[in-house]
Amino acid sequence: MTPNGAVIFGLVVVAASVAAASPLGFAVVAALVLAFAIAGGGRKAATALLWSAGIVAPLALFMGLVWVVIVGRAPAEIAAGVEGSRIAAAAYVAVICARLFIIAFVVQAAFQHFAGATPLRFVRGLTVPLTVKKLLVLTLSLIETLLQAVDRARTALIVSGTITRQFSLRNLRHGWILIQTVWLTVITIAIGRTRDKWPTEGTLTLLDNALSAPAGRRFAAADLIWITLAVAALASALGLR
Amino acid sequence: MAAHELIVGPNFSGRSALLMRRLRERTPGASFYIGPYAEAALSGLSSTVADEIEIYGTNTAQDRSGFQLLDRIARDRPTFDVLDLKSFADRKPPTLSGGEQVLLALHCFSISTFRAIGIDTALEQLDPDNRALALLYLTFCEDQDALLIDNRLDHLDDWSRIDASEVDHRFACDLAAAVAPIAPRAAPAIAIEGLSFHYPGGWDVFADTSFMLAPGKAHRLTGANGTGKTTLMKLLAGVLRPSAGAITLDGAPYEPWTSGNRLFALATQNPDHQWCGATLAEDLTRRCAALAHHKELQAPTSEQLSTLATLFGIASRDQHLYELPLAARKRLSWLWPLTGTMPWIMLDEPTVGQDRATCEALARAIDTMCARGYGVIFITHDDDFADMIAHEQLLIAQGTISS
Repeated sequence: MTPNGAVIFGLVVVAASVAAASPLGFAVVAALVLAFAIAGGGRKAATALLWSAGIVAPLALFMGLVWVVIVGRAPAEIAAGVEGSRIAAAAYVAVICARLFIIAFVVQAAFQHFAGATPLRFVRGLTVPLTVKKLLVLTLSLIETLLQAVDRARTALIVSGTITRQFSLRNLRHGWILIQTVWLTVITIAIGRTRDKWPTEGTLTLLDNALSAPAGRRFAAADLIWITLAVAALASALGLR
Repeated sequence: MAAHELIVGPNFSGRSALLMRRLRERTPGASFYIGPYAEAALSGLSSTVADEIEIYGTNTAQDRSGFQLLDRIARDRPTFDVLDLKSFADRKPPTLSGGEQVLLALHCFSISTFRAIGIDTALEQLDPDNRALALLYLTFCEDQDALLIDNRLDHLDDWSRIDASEVDHRFACDLAAAVAPIAPRAAPAIAIEGLSFHYPGGWDVFADTSFMLAPGKAHRLTGANGTGKTTLMKLLAGVLRPSAGAITLDGAPYEPWTSGNRLFALATQNPDHQWCGATLAEDLTRRCAALAHHKELQAPTSEQLSTLATLFGIASRDQHLYELPLAARKRLSWLWPLTGTMPWIMLDEPTVGQDRATCEALARAIDTMCARGYGVIFITHDDDFADMIAHEQLLIAQGTISS
């Protein structure tokens, strides 16, 4: 599969999950994504499934607490001014969480299709303007810098005794120090790069060259098959509303 | 003929500024730069080692018809291939050790089209074998200019020497006076049994290894770049949790990854990896506040900390840490360990970026701490520095630690 095909497939699946409103509609879209995940990762599809459930579960719990337990009716019922029911509220939460689950799942599944490719090669393979590619790489760079800063800040605060590696009340009290330290670290990393390394080397020009290198086919036969199936799922979701 | 220049001088003599100026006198964007630490060694644009190599190895101006990276490189110049790039390809560059990052940066330079390289003390992080290879490579780069700052070199054959001699004395430090008032202390003996550790998805860094750390002595951790020296320090400080094994202090169980660190004061390899605040005052206040959880530890007084800050060349504790020169921050990273608050101190590559006079003073300070009963663990590839300290050597190799 090509990066272009994966992105289009993903976008159509997202549209299908937003369009789906009935259990059968969600089942059709979820089955398609599951097939996509198995095709790309084999047994690792189970890992993608678990990860996606893990991402959505806290939100489901929170939304259930708010809408089902506390509010007790769905937003549409509130807007209509009717008494409503907890069942309707639960259905509302279920629809939102199902959509998010499918979105998270399709992203995980797409990653598995490109497990052998590097992020740079994936971005280079996209048929988008160079500026967009550069923006994607810089965004990934910022995310990596944030992760690096979190690791550095955690190390500093654990060694100093301010927080512990394991969950503790101390960590709750001093969480704001961790946030401050992470922020400071990100800024200093970025300043160091943009003051010394990047201007000396013209690093961003190097990036332009790397992203402009030949990237292979824009689409493959597999792309067309999966995109067609995704469009069919979208149509099913719309028809089953 | 390429110019190879060694910039020599003490700390705060303007060496780094001179190196940067000479690099930028060339066409902008024509020089490769390896600074003292990771943020100035790697591009920061790549999520994997493979991508880092690809960013530097691509040149579409030369070849748009194909993309045979290694073939093109072989035609232009020899590559610097010390790292096992295949096994490192999927790793995130910041997860490499400091020395491995320098080796990766050198490899990237060797596959690039840059005609000049500037290295600011980064080679000091390499183990002796890798350091010798790096110097050899740079010396025999016929078509590329090289500028180097290295505190362990006064001269190099076939290199010209540039002296930087106008010293800024604002950050002068007096380590002897800093450790003079430290009272004797009975640090606990540390026993590590059956230690095992591996990073998620990685290889075994330590596999069922056991060793002892006696107080009143200095222990030097040695081993090739990437063997786990810094990882061991992180395990002992509770930053990482071992997959197996136990640590005892005078026979009593000690699990810093659960209970918090109450034993070690650590000066990290990159000093910016240890700050707990934006200013020195904020950093020290938080460290002292953390001691409230451990009644057996006595925090230094405000007066003591102010005196120490002055001895480390810092006029005010309200000094913003990141406004200091890197060499000053490196020295400041020793302040907390040398307060004598924690019974054991760990110094990770303390001499990187430090001139000989400062290294000698630090060696004497370490000897003083040991003589007063403290335990010291240090990592250094600088054999001259290590020889100034009476120490026991612990070699880390193939997952084990041996005397």
